[in-house]
Amino acid sequence: MVNLTIDDKQVTAPKTATIYEAAKMNGVNIPILCHDKKLKPFGACRMCLVEVEQMKGRQIPACTTPVTEGMIIRTATPDIVKARKMVLELLLLNHPLDCPVCDKAGDCDLQNLTYEYKVDSNRFSDEKFHHEIDYNNPLIERDMNRCVLCGKCARICDEIVSYGALTFIDRGIETKIGCEFDEALNCEFCGSCISVCPVGSLLARPFKFKARFWSLTKEKSVCGYCGTGCGLTLGVKDNKILTTIYDENQGFHKGQLCVRGRFGYQFINSTKRLMKPLIKKNGVLTESTWDEALGLVAGRLKDAGSVAALATPRLTNEEFVLFKKLLDENVGTKNYDHAAGYAHSALTEGFVRSFGTSASSASILDIQKSDLLLVIKTDTYETHPVVGFEINMAVKNKGVKLNILSDKRGKLSKLPDAVTLVHRPGSEVALLNSIAKTILDEKLSNDAVASVPGFAELVSALSAFSAEAVADQCGLTAAAIKKLASDYASAEKTLIIFPTGQAYTGHNADLASAVANLAILTGKYGKEGCGVLCLSEKNNSQGAVDMGFYAQNGGLNGMQVLDACTNGTVKTLFIAGENPLTTYPNRSKVKAALDSVEFLVVSELFLSETAAMADVVLPVCSFAEKEGTFTSADRRVQYFKPAIRKNVQIKTDYEVFSDLIARLGGNAPASGSAVFKEISEGVPGYQGMSHVALKKDSAFASVVITPAFVIPQATSAIPVEQGKLALVIGSALYHNGTLSQYGEGPMHVCPEGYIEMSHSDASANKIANNDLVTVSSATGSLQLKAKISTRIPAGVVFAPYHFSDSPVNTIWSGSPVTFVTLAKR
Amino acid sequence: MNPITPIINGMAITLKHLFMKPVTLQYPTERPKVAARFRGLHALNVSHNKAKCVACYLCPTVCPAKCITVEAGEDANHDKFAATYEIDMLRCIFCGYCVEACPVDAIRMTGEFELANYRREDFVYSKDRLLEKK
Ligand code: SF4
Ligand code: SF4
Ligand code: SF4
Ligand code: SF4
Ligand code: SF4
Ligand code: FES
Repeated sequence: MVNLTIDDKQVTAPKTATIYEAAKMNGVNIPILCHDKKLKPFGACRMCLVEVEQMKGRQIPACTTPVTEGMIIRTATPDIVKARKMVLELLLLNHPLDCPVCDKAGDCDLQNLTYEYKVDSNRFSDEKFHHEIDYNNPLIERDMNRCVLCGKCARICDEIVSYGALTFIDRGIETKIGCEFDEALNCEFCGSCISVCPVGSLLARPFKFKARFWSLTKEKSVCGYCGTGCGLTLGVKDNKILTTIYDENQGFHKGQLCVRGRFGYQFINSTKRLMKPLIKKNGVLTESTWDEALGLVAGRLKDAGSVAALATPRLTNEEFVLFKKLLDENVGTKNYDHAAGYAHSALTEGFVRSFGTSASSASILDIQKSDLLLVIKTDTYETHPVVGFEINMAVKNKGVKLNILSDKRGKLSKLPDAVTLVHRPGSEVALLNSIAKTILDEKLSNDAVASVPGFAELVSALSAFSAEAVADQCGLTAAAIKKLASDYASAEKTLIIFPTGQAYTGHNADLASAVANLAILTGKYGKEGCGVLCLSEKNNSQGAVDMGFYAQNGGLNGMQVLDACTNGTVKTLFIAGENPLTTYPNRSKVKAALDSVEFLVVSELFLSETAAMADVVLPVCSFAEKEGTFTSADRRVQYFKPAIRKNVQIKTDYEVFSDLIARLGGNAPASGSAVFKEISEGVPGYQGMSHVALKKDSAFASVVITPAFVIPQATSAIPVEQGKLALVIGSALYHNGTLSQYGEGPMHVCPEGYIEMSHSDASANKIANNDLVTVSSATGSLQLKAKISTRIPAGVVFAPYHFSDSPVNTIWSGSPVTFVTLAKR
Repeated sequence: MNPITPIINGMAITLKHLFMKPVTLQYPTERPKVAARFRGLHALNVSHNKAKCVACYLCPTVCPAKCITVEAGEDANHDKFAATYEIDMLRCIFCGYCVEACPVDAIRMTGEFELANYRREDFVYSKDRLLEKK
């Protein structure tokens, strides 16, 4: 700590603080324009000028100058005010001043400062800029005439997003912000640049001209897409969600969002939303009343022996508990599951066996505190982009080493000094086993491991997995595997990260145990910056697991439920929000199951492909219209309240379940907070939580680890089928599940399915970018647009799974690798 | 005072007024002279054959009666214009703040005061009805 004087006030500040930070900590406000606390100091605008006595009264920028002992600082002398006025006059010199038509007005730093410093005339005169305005992309409008060259957009895109789309181009008075060679913007559209731009140069086009900033009610919520659990601030007017608003103090991510969170909100007010219950009459879904629909459903649920249920991991914790209660107690069935059963097996089987708990032993906050990150699949960036930002910052700012095991390269591979081992698809577990074997062989393991149960068995089971034995199968060299093993073992703090989800069938219990073995062998868990972080796919996937909403005690799991529908043992299927027809493996099998089940109930926001097959469709609410809690992938429990009033014609899933409980003669808990009280009493780690406390701040559910070694079953080398390519499916950056299809923003930039392939495979099949390609597998064939990229190794093709119009499950039957042939149409 | 005097005084005043110009207007055959600063029905100023209004939302923001509805649109040149501009005359208090707030001099108040109508809906003046008639 150093002592200093700011405006005649004796204060202290940490040694590393800048004058600006020290002043802010002590309640003195220094105006800034180009500074952002998330970014490195830059010092471009000179708004923050202050006087330091020791520097003979010279005016220096507060945002870049570190404090020193005994500094005497004045922040608002007449001279400084004059200098700041001059800065503003010079900025306004070429500024168009079109506040009346500028969407930034009301939230504009330049406008606010101009007002505050009463700059109402200009001593200088010059021509205004005549830069061409970029309307070329549907999400971000770039009007460089308004730019004050603060560089924040270029810096955030580089320092946090690590994309580097924007930069200063041209020189002198011509300088402007643009893309390389002044081309159109074509980036990942996270909108981070919009969020930090202090003026109206970068604007969100979906919100353009929709409303003024001051007329919006700012409602705090939690993102309803992936398991990262970002906080969201929604801009609401007339009960409509018009935009998302940046709040630099929100959440661990400091207001950073990905394209889905920032631009994917339109589904909430979509005109395609279901507004009335539908009942199938004479083969046609016909509008009906809640009473009739729920009466019908309740009648069917009475036949306990033949009921099963599937739920989307997007329900709230309270809804999961209530749904479970309905099924367990009032219906009397154990056949319920979420995420097809396999997408949560890494947690519910893998971690349960290896760590004695169905939760990750690390949090997202550990990423920046680690020394070495081992990421399984570059897809981690696509599935959880804001976790990707954390990795970017860890690597770029904190010097954290990054090692990646993946079947393709990806954005993470481009980070400085990132080491990507591109292995053959499907060989992850064998590869991880050989790393464990190397750690054992080279005596890099922790001394205490011998006492962990299962050690001896593991040692003998791993004997077949020496780096040399596995290298070929993985398509890697033994040396690379050994290097990774010793890097992992020798770093002090290491964290393993892997995503799970409907598309990642290979990321199962075995993979979870294989990575857990590494952490246990080296003792790298249960400490800061160490552990294994399983990134579950949807916003409440971890919550669904914690609430126990999955097949247990002999209940049928997700895939078994579908089989049981086909063979007639399940006659009534209640699907709450899932869309198995597109997201579960093997479409024809799913379709047959949904066709054969006698009575299908679907509660949904939209008439999805699955809902269209139902006998009863119940229109329910999105996250923005209900209250509850979500548990993020790293077990952060967050409360959210409705951002808008729901339409009176629809119900929340909570209301649907409690109504059904009442109709079946049971007693539903009085309220969501009462249900949460049960959760806090019964769910391990949730002790002491309550809605009241969570309203103030989110809380982590604690995790207790009891390690054990488990032998992960590695698939033997997958034989390459001659002349065929290995198809791996996964997530696209712009989407999450099938919900983002209704989110408008994501669909503007990624509207359809595609098949990504290497240059060599493309030229071998005479395929060019955007060609329509017929992809055929043993399961079926599908037409997809070709996308040629350098990140895919030869022999491998990749397709995202989100699209109802080009469902990859027509060619994918659930195996981690599917062999396909390509034919140009 | 003689009780008859006030009556005589009163009659005198009455008599005087008989010979003065009457205040009452024989409306509607006779029309009042409206002062230039009178605050009557609004008009949206037109320039280059379109409304000057750029839909900046300042008038709905300032309006104390909250009776102005503006919805902005984006035209073919990506410029902002008022796709909807409505004033609910039943709620307007004719304060003129909207005129004062407008940064582009797009709205003014006219001498038009005959706003009576038969149906409530008819008091909501749409953009078409508000555009100045030249
Ligand atoms: S950027 Fe700010 S000052 Fe410039 S026109 Fe827009 S609102 Fe006005
Ligand atoms: S949207 Fe994101 S990726 Fe694109 S330029 Fe802005 S910060 Fe960079
Ligand atoms: S576009 Fe905005 S954020 Fe980027 S330099 Fe200009 S003013 Fe700053
Ligand atoms: S989709 Fe995930 S990463 Fe993106 S904003 Fe939402 S929670 Fe954050
Ligand atoms: S005159 Fe006053 S009350 Fe009437 S529309 Fe204008 S601001 Fe509103
Ligand atoms: S805020 Fe300090 S120089 Fe811009």
